[in-house]
Amino acid sequence: MLDQARLTKSGRRRLRSAGRLAAAFLLVQLGAPPGAPAAAPSRVAGDLDAAGLTNLVAARAREGKEGKVVLVNFWATWCVPCREEFPDLIRLEKELGPRGLVILGISTDFSSQAAAVEAFLAATKPRFPNYRRKAGSDEQTFIDAVDRSWGGELPFSVLYGRSGEKAKVLSGKHTYEEYRREILEVLKSSKR
Amino acid sequence: MRLNRLLPLAAVLVLAASASPAVEIGAPAPDFRLTALDGKPISLADAAKTHKAVVVMFIATKCPYSNAYNDRMKSLAAAYESKGVLFVGINSNDTEPEQEAREHARAHGHTFPIAKDPSNKVADLYDAKHTPEVFVVSPDGKLRYHGRIDDNSEDATRVSSPDLKNALDAVVAGKAVPVAETKAFGCSIKRV
Repeated sequence: MLDQARLTKSGRRRLRSAGRLAAAFLLVQLGAPPGAPAAAPSRVAGDLDAAGLTNLVAARAREGKEGKVVLVNFWATWCVPCREEFPDLIRLEKELGPRGLVILGISTDFSSQAAAVEAFLAATKPRFPNYRRKAGSDEQTFIDAVDRSWGGELPFSVLYGRSGEKAKVLSGKHTYEEYRREILEVLKSSKR
Repeated sequence: MRLNRLLPLAAVLVLAASASPAVEIGAPAPDFRLTALDGKPISLADAAKTHKAVVVMFIATKCPYSNAYNDRMKSLAAAYESKGVLFVGINSNDTEPEQEAREHARAHGHTFPIAKDPSNKVADLYDAKHTPEVFVVSPDGKLRYHGRIDDNSEDATRVSSPDLKNALDAVVAGKAVPVAETKAFGCSIKRV
């Protein structure tokens, strides 16, 4: 990777013009009209309603010989505490993924906020998949299907054990240490 | 005299420490006294006695879900004022100072009384989790409705279940509220 800070001014200029040329070449190769921006692939894994989420959690928990512990985190781009804790979840997935943790992010943003969701995922680059709550599906049905005790506040997370059973519910923002402790407990205690 | 002054405080402390997670429908709504942004006192007990219904509405200045309802709060409060219903906005967010709440009310034409809730005591009494979240109290001081304003936070033109409106119509008519508890997404109340 080139370190731009170390480049001279003229070097940076050359690099930028080379970049523009490469981008223009790519657009021509892809057959895009000149001047049209290339559409970036979406970083959203898909849209889920309550049933879709239940099926996804069950499928992911069954993965591998020993099964997986699944943490589902509900967030929104406008939710400041959600944004604050998100980097900790990225770190936890990297650290505890090899020990059997799967994280699924679910954006509850309004459908009009699709661009903000993409921008947030592009900026934070989570390795774990992130979905959107399906537009038009009833909020209350979705909330109740996830957990009866959930009032709809964000962030909200649910930990599922290796058999897909609900193990813990975490309302509101939590620290890295708190998440880690709860996840480790389920990783140790739950069996397939 | 001294004991008389201490008793309400003791009652508040007992309620705050109570294991019961939320006020139940049909149970007495916890009384509170706050000072509105215009300096006038607000007493739930007094307001309930002099109105057909009181809407205790937890709101925010920065929450997009709460802000999506600004116009609906304004029009509902105005429409039901003539029917003897009082709307009371409560801002319990520690992160949103009084001046900000005042400017927000002015910007959105909210003329119903709004109060800051220092140390989120009233939010704790009601176990209010997020904004917007509403509680409807009848003249006998009992809780008749708890939950969302309606079922479409994103688009006011596509509401299919105006739950707060339905609850108010029932309470004003002295009838049972058809659906007394509902849920919706919202921003967690930023507690101290």
